[in-house]
Amino acid sequence: MVSFPSRCLIRMIIQFLVDAISLGSFYALIAIGFSLILGVAHAFNLAHGEMILLSGYLAYFLNRQFSLPLIVSIPISMFSMLFVALCLERLLRRIPDPHELNTLVITFGLVLLLQNLMLMAFSADYRIIRPETRLLDIPVHGLFLTETQIVILTLSLATTGIVYLLLKKTFLGKALRATMQDKETARLAGVNVRNMHLIAFGLGGILIGVAGPLYARMAYLHPYGGMEATLVAVILTIFAGVGRIRGLLLGGWILGLVESATTLLVGSGWRELASAVILILLLLLRPDGLMPKWAKSTQ
Amino acid sequence: MVQLFHSKRSPVVFASLVLCLLTVASLAHCGDPLRIGEINPLTGKLAKHGQEIHEGILYAIEEVNRRGGIKGREVRLVSRDDQSQPEVAINQAEDLLYRARVTGLVGGYVDSLVGPISEVAAKHRTPYVASASLQRNLTQGRRNPFFFRVARLDGIVEPLCEFLSVLVRPANAAVLFSATPGSTEFGDEIRTCLEKSGIRVSIFDKFRPGTPDFSSFLLKLRMERADVLISGGFFPDHLVLARQLREQRLSLRVYLGPWGIAYPSFIQELGAAGEGLFGMCAWNPGITLPGTEKESESFVKGFQKRFSKVPNTTTMHGYSSGKALLTAMERSLDKTGNVDGETVCKELRSLDLLLPMERLVFDENGDPKYYRQVVVQIQDGRMVTVYPPFRATGSIRINAH
Repeated sequence: MVSFPSRCLIRMIIQFLVDAISLGSFYALIAIGFSLILGVAHAFNLAHGEMILLSGYLAYFLNRQFSLPLIVSIPISMFSMLFVALCLERLLRRIPDPHELNTLVITFGLVLLLQNLMLMAFSADYRIIRPETRLLDIPVHGLFLTETQIVILTLSLATTGIVYLLLKKTFLGKALRATMQDKETARLAGVNVRNMHLIAFGLGGILIGVAGPLYARMAYLHPYGGMEATLVAVILTIFAGVGRIRGLLLGGWILGLVESATTLLVGSGWRELASAVILILLLLLRPDGLMPKWAKSTQ
Repeated sequence: MVQLFHSKRSPVVFASLVLCLLTVASLAHCGDPLRIGEINPLTGKLAKHGQEIHEGILYAIEEVNRRGGIKGREVRLVSRDDQSQPEVAINQAEDLLYRARVTGLVGGYVDSLVGPISEVAAKHRTPYVASASLQRNLTQGRRNPFFFRVARLDGIVEPLCEFLSVLVRPANAAVLFSATPGSTEFGDEIRTCLEKSGIRVSIFDKFRPGTPDFSSFLLKLRMERADVLISGGFFPDHLVLARQLREQRLSLRVYLGPWGIAYPSFIQELGAAGEGLFGMCAWNPGITLPGTEKESESFVKGFQKRFSKVPNTTTMHGYSSGKALLTAMERSLDKTGNVDGETVCKELRSLDLLLPMERLVFDENGDPKYYRQVVVQIQDGRMVTVYPPFRATGSIRINAH
């Protein structure tokens, strides 16, 4: 027989875990497209956050103008961002060496362009997708799993799973991984590296299209808010190691748990510091990311 | 021509020429436009409020120019964007004072941007009237005779504390504030004030502006069973927090944000989830200082005609600061015939203006003596003034949220 205070404590712990894991899954969703593009195409897309915002604004527009629910606007956003990402790939394909550095410069220019376009189209006002009132009540009294959390958890698990299976179980995945590991060797083995870049950008665009509407639902939209999302993506990619899809989810969860525990136990003001300490420790202790052993075994 | 300068009459000719030149120069000076510098976050994270302040200032200047300017001289606004970054704000202030040679500075949103501008203004002995600044030590810690502002922290903390201790009487309050100078000071002040009134503050927490998730904080709120939450976050922080409160069905008696909630755009953006929230404002259409109803209405009409949108409390802060500087410049020109820093500051110190937002009189530190906000509640999609009683247009609905 569990006494009332213990029951209450257990409920709180479960609620804490649910909140932290859904926050971590949200982070992973933001990072997955960035990591894939960086891994395969070696393009450091600084405009990643702005592309997420753009897709968030699209979902916001569909929601306000046509009352489309989030779940309907996500496929539209995926398709639109696929197009945007493919255009970006065509642009980056033309730039000369050093490729990585030049992608940084070009995408920085794109950041400014997108910020100003969004400012013109949506003004400097802060926008959100309004909350739904429906809630999924779990049998334990007082425990809440909001609709946003359910959507985030489902989509992050689904996208991570699909991308992981694609990379591990298909021929295309093998070619993508080969390009990720060594471009020249992949080319010698008959892989069309240019096409792999195109596919990586396409996949990255689709994943950005999933993350954007959820960003509008979880956080808020502002033309200059893209850097936050880019930073999350960069940090998680360092956490996990470039192209480590399962590592991204694990890293997101660790980050979510650390931030949430810090907020709960020490205070909200310390959460960024706690994340920074974890990141520094990880870089010192596991410089190849969270799952280097797994990565080596698959090579 | 050369002979003329070598003749006996040359000193007379030379003196006449100098006199003519001086007359022309002085006439030209009379017709010269007066330049006012404005630094606001027109881009970056604070762009929304920066643009609102800019529109308020611009409206004040256009209003003066419509009446023929100041002593027949047109007033020109030289706008600069600080991109919501303090180091850019300093550069822009230096640029306005060195190159554009403005007579006075106006504008500014949040203390981290206003503070550095006020230092530059003091260095150049140029008056600066800040539109939105609260931090105490900008005026009280170090004396800056060139710095004035149209808002002050006491004008928010005092009515808020009275409202909570007189009308709400919470059993257990939580105070959340963002990591900015003004908000941190607000957090400290409100906690002290609530504790003095015998109200327990069980949570006192700071957060970074722009935090995307408050679920752990809400869990803490649930665990501590707080019935009132005072959040010193900004507009977007309230959007996220209020939405999560709604989603998690956390019942609080009062959720109050001193800045960021009392905006028509906030109500529109949040929809039903905003119902019952409390905010504070110094002015809004329909919420004006008694005795200024006509001016307020005329401002709203004129502003809507000019900008095709409804002004809000931030716009009015911009308008009030612009109005203060313009009036002081006009009086300075009237009395001394010039608008140098010292004389304009002297006029600012003796100013007594009745504006829709406040009766504007600066104290010896440059703070407004009579600035005091009112508490409003969102009821049926509208802002209703609920405190102080003499300005109330409705009664509070506790548990509406």
